[in-house]
Amino acid sequence: MNRAYSITAAELAARGREGIPPELLSSAHLIYSSPATLAFNSPGAQGFGVKRAGLAVPGSVMLLVAPACCGRNTAALGCEASLAERFFYLMQDDTDIVTGRHLARIPEAVKEVCDSCAERPSAVMICITCVDALLGTDMERVCRKASEYAGVPVVPCYMYALTREGRLPPMVSVRRSVYSLLQPREKVASSVNILGFFSPLRDDSELYTLLRSAGIRTIREISRCADYAEYQAMAEANFNLVLNQEARHAAADLQKRLGIPSVELARLYQTDKIANQYRLLGQAVGAEFDDAPFRECAEKTISDFRDRFGHRSFAVGEWLNADPFELSLSLIRNGFAVSEIYGTVGGSNFVYVRKIAALSPGTKIYSNLSPSMMFYDGSDSPCDTVIGRDAMYYHPGLPGVPWNEERQPFGYAGVAALFGVLGKALSEKKESAR
Amino acid sequence: MKSLLKHLSPFAPDQSGAVSALFDFGGLIVICDAGGCTGNICGFDEPRWFIRRSAVFSAGLRDMDAILGRDDKLVSKLQSAMDGSGLKFSAIIGTPVPAIIATDFKALKRMAEKRTGLPAITVPTTGTRHYDRGASDAWLELFKTFATERHAVDSGTVGILGASPLDFPSLDAGELLSAALVAEGWKSVRCYGMGAGLDDVRTASAVAKNLVVSPAGLAAAKYLLATFGTPYEVRCPWLPPQMLDALPSLAGKKTLVIHQQFAANAVRDAVLKPDANSQVTVASWFMMEPDYMRENDFHIESEEAFIEAVANGGYDAVVCDSRLRTVLPRTQAFHIIDFPHFAVSGRLFDEVK
Repeated sequence: MNRAYSITAAELAARGREGIPPELLSSAHLIYSSPATLAFNSPGAQGFGVKRAGLAVPGSVMLLVAPACCGRNTAALGCEASLAERFFYLMQDDTDIVTGRHLARIPEAVKEVCDSCAERPSAVMICITCVDALLGTDMERVCRKASEYAGVPVVPCYMYALTREGRLPPMVSVRRSVYSLLQPREKVASSVNILGFFSPLRDDSELYTLLRSAGIRTIREISRCADYAEYQAMAEANFNLVLNQEARHAAADLQKRLGIPSVELARLYQTDKIANQYRLLGQAVGAEFDDAPFRECAEKTISDFRDRFGHRSFAVGEWLNADPFELSLSLIRNGFAVSEIYGTVGGSNFVYVRKIAALSPGTKIYSNLSPSMMFYDGSDSPCDTVIGRDAMYYHPGLPGVPWNEERQPFGYAGVAALFGVLGKALSEKKESAR
Repeated sequence: MKSLLKHLSPFAPDQSGAVSALFDFGGLIVICDAGGCTGNICGFDEPRWFIRRSAVFSAGLRDMDAILGRDDKLVSKLQSAMDGSGLKFSAIIGTPVPAIIATDFKALKRMAEKRTGLPAITVPTTGTRHYDRGASDAWLELFKTFATERHAVDSGTVGILGASPLDFPSLDAGELLSAALVAEGWKSVRCYGMGAGLDDVRTASAVAKNLVVSPAGLAAAKYLLATFGTPYEVRCPWLPPQMLDALPSLAGKKTLVIHQQFAANAVRDAVLKPDANSQVTVASWFMMEPDYMRENDFHIESEEAFIEAVANGGYDAVVCDSRLRTVLPRTQAFHIIDFPHFAVSGRLFDEVK
């Protein structure tokens, strides 16, 4: 092993979903750790991991119950002072791990944490890790006991990295946790929740306008809830709009507990597919959306970009706000080339691999997590523009955009915004080259 | 509650210390975890990871790996990654998961050596101890594995043991420590872990003396003394100038210095040199070697104990990582001099304003 492993889209599509080579399967090899993989190799290291996500409940604090190593990077998250003040740690030692005696200390620790806060927290989120996963701790029971003792809602958040490819990965489970405090309320027909992200959609997303045109007066996102009362008002929603499949489990739980049904939309970059999705949403909610002006605007931004910068060849990463394969397909269908994709091929996106193979069979697919990426050398790559934080790491000299901002792009506005920032990045690169 | 942190976040753990000690030697490092520990170590505790490609991997353990204890699978993955890579050895670093399932690290070492045909180091860290314990274990294992032959002693060569960015938060710390010793008259300096290579470890018996700059290097120094008769001295030859420049302001004050013990001792020496009447106490959250403690020096057992010790100590001034300001009693006005400690705050000297 002395060069990075890649496979063309045509070869991969021919192998089929069952024939994905082991080099692309993270369970079949050691997992390479490079700055390109930081966000997803360590779900808590950057962006929204379980720890930060668990604090999405307004006014809540988090008590991490774990060996010290599990809380170490929280100091980095704590750069934001307001967040740092919301983290507390109950550290496990070797004896705790052997005897489980730390569980008896949790109620007292929760009370001590609450007493130390200037304002009483709305809830205490207990974050537990691989240790308790292996010990088989019944944290629901411990939380009930802590809640009775401290007089505050206590909710478990499972940061079980060991189960990342299991039925209930940590980022799926934490979404259920953050909505689990909602209590039944009378439904309001004009009220909707958007589920899926821990930060708001970009303000310019047409989704807001379209929903309002259908008579929706209140659109709530957990990240926009100013306080616990507003968060509780999410329970009045007529339906939940799920924009990230990791929120599917939470939506199912809300349907079961509160009777709120849900509709799921995917984040897409192919404008015809976005249109199709809105048509189906309209049918589901009994409305007809006029999305044509938004679609025209997005498509004009793409054609303007193409006119101005010509036939670009992209490298697309996976540390970004998109499915790298769907985004790549969109770029190819819009007349651009995609020479390289750094992504994780799985059941849900193999359909895009097949379509890419038909249009651009030579597109190379890499796995960020493959040990062979230690030897990646992009010097002979034909790409001239990059999208994604990881792609920027591999091609530091090329113009590109990280496209992983916390404000979430969605729909046509997301497409237009992407080409807008790409145009800016290319212009700046041209300017600096002069 | 002793184990509760209400103001601070946890310090660098033993697994980070082990990786830091081994990072510079051209081996393949496997962190025996599910992914999160690797992200913490690389993304937070190893600043060198951001500036150069390194062979650090996660074992990518999943629940069934832990339940079934699939060591053979781990070693197969390790072998695949080693094949044709040109890497010189492998190292397997423990985390809470192998600690819970009682992984036999000695067996892992034998299996890895047999499969790869190259030396393997295992460090059974648990994630529950501080970085210096892991670094100490890793240094010792490194020298035991590679420094096996006696070489002729070069009287002009000195070794530095215990240096890492976690202890000396600068990417240039190896060069700065070495330059200080060259200025003292040494012809050649080997700063293990920050500049010296694996061949320097193999010929460690050739140095005239080892300088131990942090408690993490002491076990290896004692091993080299016992095995080859190489003497050692505990001393920090370099401290950040911006911090040293501020020390005269401590004259006549009662000062508490908080850092890794040997660096804190060096600060004490620097304060007392011009003003022997000043009172300086050294404290550390990390290893405190009794032979190098003075009266009133203390180990900090917990956040709660620290707050109490500072409140009752009657100190006028504190030399510490400024991250610790949050636990200094707000009712007292301390003269604070910032002395970054990466293992505490993840800050480099260069970030000091």
